[in-house]
Parts: sequence; structure tokens; C-alpha cells
Amino acid sequence: MKKLLAKIKKHLNRRTWITLIIVFAALLLELFSWAQYYYTKQLLEDELEKKAAIEMTMKAILVKSMLNTTEQVLNSHVTEITKLTKDPDDIHDALRTIVEANDYFTGVGLAFKPGYYEGHDELYEPWAFNTKDGVMVKDNIAMRGGHDYTKFKFYSEPMSTGKPYWSDPYIDSVETHSFITTYSVPIIDKNGQKAGVAGIDLSLEWLSDSLNNRHMYPSSYCLLLTNDAKLISQPAKSHARYKDFDDAIKLINDSTGRARVVAKSKIKVIEFDTEDGKEACVFFHHMKGNPHWMIAVVCYDDEVYAGLNAIRLRTGLLMLLGFLLLGYIIYRFLKNNKRMAQNELEHERLNTELQVAKRIQSEMLPHDYITHDNFDIAASLLSAREVGGDIYDYFLRDDKLFFCIGDASGKGVASALIMSVTHSMFRSFGSRESHPARIMQKINQAVCHGNDSSMFVTFFIGVLDLPTGRLQYCNAGHDTPQLIDNKARDLDVKSNIPLGVDIDWFYEGQLAELKPGNTLLLYTDGLTEAMDAKHDQFGLQRVKDTIEQHQGDTPQQLLDALHAMCADFVSGAVQSDDLTMLAVKFIPKEEEEIILHRELTIDNSLSHVPEVNDFVKSFGDELKLEEKDTQNLKLAIEEAVVNVINYAYPTGEKGDINIEATATATSLKFKIIDTGVAFAPTDAPDVDTSLTAEERQIGGLGIFLVRQLMDTINYERIEGKNVLTLTKKLS
Amino acid sequence: MKTTINEIDGKLVATFEGELDTAAAIEVEKDMKPLYDNEDKDIVIDCEKLEYIASSGLRILLGILKKAKSHGHTVTLKGLNDDIKNVFKMTGFINLFNFE
Repeated sequence: MKKLLAKIKKHLNRRTWITLIIVFAALLLELFSWAQYYYTKQLLEDELEKKAAIEMTMKAILVKSMLNTTEQVLNSHVTEITKLTKDPDDIHDALRTIVEANDYFTGVGLAFKPGYYEGHDELYEPWAFNTKDGVMVKDNIAMRGGHDYTKFKFYSEPMSTGKPYWSDPYIDSVETHSFITTYSVPIIDKNGQKAGVAGIDLSLEWLSDSLNNRHMYPSSYCLLLTNDAKLISQPAKSHARYKDFDDAIKLINDSTGRARVVAKSKIKVIEFDTEDGKEACVFFHHMKGNPHWMIAVVCYDDEVYAGLNAIRLRTGLLMLLGFLLLGYIIYRFLKNNKRMAQNELEHERLNTELQVAKRIQSEMLPHDYITHDNFDIAASLLSAREVGGDIYDYFLRDDKLFFCIGDASGKGVASALIMSVTHSMFRSFGSRESHPARIMQKINQAVCHGNDSSMFVTFFIGVLDLPTGRLQYCNAGHDTPQLIDNKARDLDVKSNIPLGVDIDWFYEGQLAELKPGNTLLLYTDGLTEAMDAKHDQFGLQRVKDTIEQHQGDTPQQLLDALHAMCADFVSGAVQSDDLTMLAVKFIPKEEEEIILHRELTIDNSLSHVPEVNDFVKSFGDELKLEEKDTQNLKLAIEEAVVNVINYAYPTGEKGDINIEATATATSLKFKIIDTGVAFAPTDAPDVDTSLTAEERQIGGLGIFLVRQLMDTINYERIEGKNVLTLTKKLS
Repeated sequence: MKTTINEIDGKLVATFEGELDTAAAIEVEKDMKPLYDNEDKDIVIDCEKLEYIASSGLRILLGILKKAKSHGHTVTLKGLNDDIKNVFKMTGFINLFNFE
């Protein structure tokens, strides 16, 4: 199954997915819209049926009330009228009174049994009419225009049954010519004989108007039909749908099978199409009692469901909006998800890169523990983050220990980068230059150049001359190192300014003489400003106290003690800054017994070179060195001396060059001393011996040869003199 | 320090004798002018009796070599003792010359 899904997934590209989703959403939208329509229509249909039932009940009550009024009026008067049968004049007055009682009575009158009154016509029918000119009383309307009332049911029915009777509608042909129905009751005389009938004509037009003066819907109307569905009341001819009521009546007449009974009522309904194609329905039911007439209400679907399409449209639109919103939310969600996944990947990648950077940074630190007779060194660096802005470094060149410590402003990658630059320049310039201030000067120029980010670096460079303990140093705004003899003292430092601030700043170098056993401690502010949970700082005093408690410790022991104290102080608070320390302890070499000492002083002329060579040769011979070794010594000393002759004094100026040769049981030492301008031959670049003849420069070979032939070469400027010391170990 | 220059079998042959230190190099450089000026012959330098050479001597040899190479000629060093050969090795000059 999973395989199948995967296969399907593989074959459906993104575009297809989107199309499918849209189609699905559209189908869903249509389905919901349709369901909504259907449901609303059902609601409206129920509503319509309820409304129709109420309407019809109301109309029935209206009709009934009119009929009841008519019946009551006639019933209450009929006895009185019966009493008046003796005098027709009295009858006239009574009829007038009755017909005036109600607007919807068009007439009221009596129809006597033929021949009932002597002295009157055979057919006697006094009748009062409501005309537009007022009430008019006719003494006898029988046989007017051939009007024979005995042929009318309003007469014959009560006469035969003795019960009141409601006639079917008919046109009053005698007087008013209006559409009427007549309610009639038998008149019983004092002998208990039927004397005739009394009747009231009810205006059906008036009834129609009353029934149709208000509608459920603008075009709907109400019909009143007899028991056998003959029209009693109809809408006015001005009614918009006047022509449809014939169809409705026909349907009611032919309702077998088509009519549906409305739930929980006796009302029936028939749905039909009008001639002009409108959907309509007619509700109808019989009134209770006598007359057993029918009330019908016709409604048109377009009005009943007029709101439905609007509702459907509105719902559809709302749903479409909803879908769009949902789609947008899903889209954003997916996009966010994707972005989050990407962010996560990116984060992971950055993390990996940071780990690599951390490794590179830590690999850049000196790892080889230098063991040397003249010093003991230890250093440590704890980054607050993956990569840090702190650095320390140290290396040996020509009997000199170069070391530095630095702290770039800020933390993290930016400071790590600028510190890497500073560090590599320290290494690079330090390989060519022995004077800390000049190294600092060059690094500053390089760091300032193009430092648009206003980063700066505090830096301290020290160069310890191992044979003498002379410490040359230069400080660029870094924390004051501690010089430890029997107690911790601040090293006298000119603060200068940090690197990267002012390209023209002149960095001043300083000198200190380290005594045997002295230790120099360098640190970054990560030590003194290490904070505990209460934001109190470790402080310099605690550093000094710790140092004094650990008199005589090795540098490594001192650093371990400081770390322990510091960790104890912060007690688990998050490390806020990089913490770096470096400690150097100066241990002078024990003096060996000198077995041979010779000196030679020449002036700065190349013509004295053979003298120098003879001097070295005789020194070698005295020591009974092998011929080959003496030759090598001779070459080395010649090259060193020639270098001094060529460069120590300005052209044409005379000056002395002193050569001291000393030998111990284990080594030879040559000191070449001049009083010329400060010049460090050891800072000359190495010669690339792999170049071709065309590429090779003529020159620069001298010091190179010295380095090759001797074990160490060391330059110091001491009290205005250049002192170049060459040593060779004896095997 | 003694030097001679002879033309033998169409080659310029210089002989170095004694110690070629920095002081001697000043003279030797002048003496070698014919070799610098040479444009049409290969050069052989006989070092059989050369006892010592300083970097200034090496510079002279390099100058001769550069010149000769620029005219498409070779410089061959002959009979170097071990000490001097060692200096050639140290300086990488061993790669630059022909040796016999």
C-alpha cells in the first residue's frame, strides 16, 4: 500500500497536486452550496406551509365572521319580521333597518309563499337594496324581468327543509346586478305554518376585497369556492396574476391524486406550472360547518424562494472566501513548515560550520607543548560560544619566545574572524620582525585597513630573549599582565590604544628584565569580569590573591588554580565572555664552564674578512675541531660579519666590530657586536632554494647560510649595540 | 685567490684556486668580466683547487650562470670538494649548474 502511494506520489508532480486540490475544493464548495440550498428550501417550504395554514385559517375566520354576522342579523330579525307580516309598510321599515346595518349586505327581503297574502300578488317579495344612491325599498320585486323566486334555491331549500340555507353565488339580476350569495331562513307564522323565507344578500365582491386586501406574498391571492369548487370570491381584475385563478380552480376540481396533504393539517396543496411557465402552488381546504365552502391560496415559487438564490449566492461566496482563507492558511502553514525545515537545515549547517570553525580556531592555537631549558609555558582558552574573539599564541624563533594574547571586541563569528586575521598577522610579521612594537604597528595598519565594521582588538605582544631574560613587549589596550616574583605586580604597560582604531597610532614598545623564576601572566577580561549569578565580577584582586596562594607553582598549576577559583566563584552561572590565560615562567640556563675564549675587533671593512676567517680557523684548530666543521664555522661567521660590515654603519662611516668566541664542553658561541644602527639580520626573509636560476635573486644568501650552518642565531639590541649571537652545539 | 680563463675546445674554461671569501670576491668579480661578456660559448669552471667559497662567491657564479643562460649556453662546474658541494646543496645551487 505504501509502495503504491509512493508510486502515485512520484508520478504526480506539484502542478497536478494543486489542480487536484482545486478541483476537489470546487466540488466540495458546490456540494456544500447545494446542500445549503436544499436545506434552506426545505426550511422555506415548511415556512410557506405554516404561513399558508395561518393565512387560510385567518381567511376562514374572516369569511365565517361575515357569514355569522349575516346569519345572526337575519336570525335575530326574522321573528320580529314574522310579527310584522300583517302590515307590509312595517315590513319595509324593518328591511331598511337591516340592510343599513352592514356594508356588505346588498339587499335584504322576504319571499312569501305564493298566495300567502290576500290582496297582494300571487308572488309577493318585498326587498330592500343597498345601492350607491342609498337604501331603496321595493314592495315587490317578484316577476320583475321574469324573476320567479320560487325557482331559486334560496326559497325552495328552506321551504322544503325548514332549515337556513346559503345559496351558491349568483348575479342579482333584479336590482344591483352584483355578484352575491343569499342567506335565507324560513318564516314561520303564528299558526306554525311556513309563510315564506327571509333572506340577506351578501356582496361577494366585498368578500373578495376583504379576502384579498392583504397577501402573504406580493402576487399571491386568495380564492373562495363553493363546496363543489365554484368560484365565490376572486382577486380583483387588476391583480397581476388574475388570469391564473381559472387554472387553480380547475386543478382543485381535478385534484385526485395530485394533491398532497400538508403535514399535521387538513390543508391540501397542488404544485403546478402557470401558462407563462412560472412555478406555483395552491393550498386549499374546506371551511368547517355550513356553508361548506373552500378557501384556496395561490403562491408563486419565485416569490416564496426569492431570497433563496440570494442566500445561496451569499453562502456560496462566503464559503468560497472561507475556502480561499483556508487554502491561504494551509499554504502559509506549509510554507512556514518548509521554511522552518529549511531554517532547521540552515541552522544545522551553520552549526556544523561553527563546529568546523571552532575546530579550526582551536587548531590555530599552539598545541605543541614547547619544552625548553629557559622557560615553562602554559595557556588556556575557554570560549563562551562555539567560536570566540580571544586568542593566545606563542612560538620560538632564534632563541626568542614570541607570545601574544588578544581579545576582539564583541563575541562570536565576527570577532573570531577579525581575531583570526590579527592572529595570522602576528605569526606572519613575527617571523620577520623581532620587535613587538613594530609587529604591533604592522598588525594595526593591516587591521585598520578596511575595518569598516569598527571592530577593535586589544592585544599584547611579548618577545622574551631567552639567553638574557630581556622581555620586549608592546601593549595595545589590553588588560595589564601580572609579573609574578614573590608577589603579583602589574607589569608597567603603556596602554596605547587597541588595534583597528587609528591607523596612524605609534605603538611604543617597552622592556622588562625577567629575573630567574619570574612568571608573567597574561589574561583577557573574561577572567577578571567573570560573573556569578548576582552579576558580581571575579575581579583583579581575586586573581592576585590566587596567584599569591600559589607561589612557586608551574604555569600550568597556576592556570589550573585560577580556573578552579574562577569556576568556584561563578558557581555555574553562564560564561558570558571568552576566558583566556597564558603564563610564562623564565628559567635561565645554568652557566657552563668556559674552556676557551677569544676576541677579535676589526673595523667595518671587507678587507678584514680574511682576518676573521683566520680567527675562526685558529679557534677551531685550538679546539681540535674537524676540518669540515671549522670550514662551516668559518663560512657562518664570515657571512654574519660581512652582513654587519655591509649594513651596520652608513656608507663611509668607520666603526668597530667585535667578535667574541667562547667554547664550553657542549657548545660554541660567537657574539658579533657593533655600535651601528639597529639592524636585525634575523628578520631577513628565508631564501627559496627551489627556484630556477632565472628566478633566483642575487643576494640574501648570507643569513640563510648562517641559519643552515649554526644551531641558533639570535639578535638583540642591548644598550645601543647590536648583539648577534650564533651558537653551535658540539656533539 | 687565483683565477685564470682559457679557451679550450671552444669552451671558456675558468680555474679557481684558493679561498673565495668575500674580500677575494671583489677581485674575482672583476676577473670574470670575460665570462660575463661571453655570448657564444659554453662555460666550464674548474674548481679542483678551490678550497672555500662564501655567499659572495656563489653570487658571482649565479651572475655568470644567468648571463650564459640568457644566451642559451651552459655553465659546468668541475671538481668541487665535498665541503663546497655541501654549500651548493644547502643553497639549492646544486640544481642550477651542471657538474662534472
